[in-house]
Amino acid sequence: MTTDESARRRVSSLAELPQSLEPGRDLWPQIEARLQEARRDGAADTSRTVTPRRGVPLRWLAAAAMVASVAVGVWIGRALLPVAAPAAPTAQHDNGPGTAPWLNRPSALDAAYVSDPRYERQRAALLRSLQARLAALPPLSREKVMGSLAAIEKAKQDLEQALGKDPSNALLQELLVNTYQDEMRVLTDVPEASSSGRGI
Amino acid sequence: MGHAQAEDTRVDWEGALVQRARGGDARAFERLYREHAGRVYGLCLRMTRDAQLAEDCVQDTFINAWRALPKFEVRSSLSTWLHRIAVNVSLAKRRKATPVEAPADDDGEAVSGEWLLETPVEVEEIETAIAGLPDGARDALVLHALYGYSHGEAAAMLGIAEGTCKAQLHRARALLRERLGVEVN
Repeated sequence: MTTDESARRRVSSLAELPQSLEPGRDLWPQIEARLQEARRDGAADTSRTVTPRRGVPLRWLAAAAMVASVAVGVWIGRALLPVAAPAAPTAQHDNGPGTAPWLNRPSALDAAYVSDPRYERQRAALLRSLQARLAALPPLSREKVMGSLAAIEKAKQDLEQALGKDPSNALLQELLVNTYQDEMRVLTDVPEASSSGRGI
Repeated sequence: MGHAQAEDTRVDWEGALVQRARGGDARAFERLYREHAGRVYGLCLRMTRDAQLAEDCVQDTFINAWRALPKFEVRSSLSTWLHRIAVNVSLAKRRKATPVEAPADDDGEAVSGEWLLETPVEVEEIETAIAGLPDGARDALVLHALYGYSHGEAAAMLGIAEGTCKAQLHRARALLRERLGVEVN
């Protein structure tokens, strides 16, 4: 616990005992590795450190993991799918992408966690752009994007609902912010992919 | 530069590091770790009595702190905040390892004073005596007598009533007196 010299030192008050003790090794490299791992895996790592008293139900972690996998799926799909010319919407999508239930829902924008007006303006602009450009995407790509955004929207709703019950839960806050970022990445990517003719 | 001014500078410096760490700057967080790791480890080691477990607790404490940084209020004490996390982590790990100890009665007399020893005693001997205390008494003693937290603060950190904390301190004092063979005032 202490060096020989300090261990033999005599004290006449408990307050004189050293508050600071040095661990046997430098713990930072492992902490740093875990931080990096947590960044990479999103919520996957969190179950190790959440105490039972403040434990987050597994379904929230699963929701966050699903969002991450959806986002990855979008990127992988974009890389693997052949470049396709814009196609007219099929009969299945005749109503247009604007009919997707999540597109104009105000719930996400109402969240207190996204109060920056610049964010709201940018998101609204991207949504407008998305509605115009989704129709120009190949059906398969359009389906992937809509599926991804619907999954993200569901995750946001679940997380917001959980935060309503536990507003100070830092893990849920972090997951929600990550989910907004995932949504923004998808929204940003769609117009770019559409205008470049690459597809998603 | 006076003590108060030096303290202000340190706090400002720490606040700046916290802000940078909140923004995702791992280097800033490492500097906070370097600044506080010793005291966190000292607390965890005294609570768990196991060097390996204490190291695990330190790691979990700083991982949890990183995640919770957005809700940390910069004007409050980072050290106290880290200690709260460390106490929670240590208690949780200890519960896994050992059965929960029955809490002492809440009728302990008020324990105050500076925990002065009638005769000076070697650090190692005191640390051994503290390590031999029952968990509840040791937790209260470490937070109150070694780290200077008030009865209320220590009780809040441990999740017990203030009266229970005082009872545990009373018990700790009696046991230390017996084991060290000196009066503890």
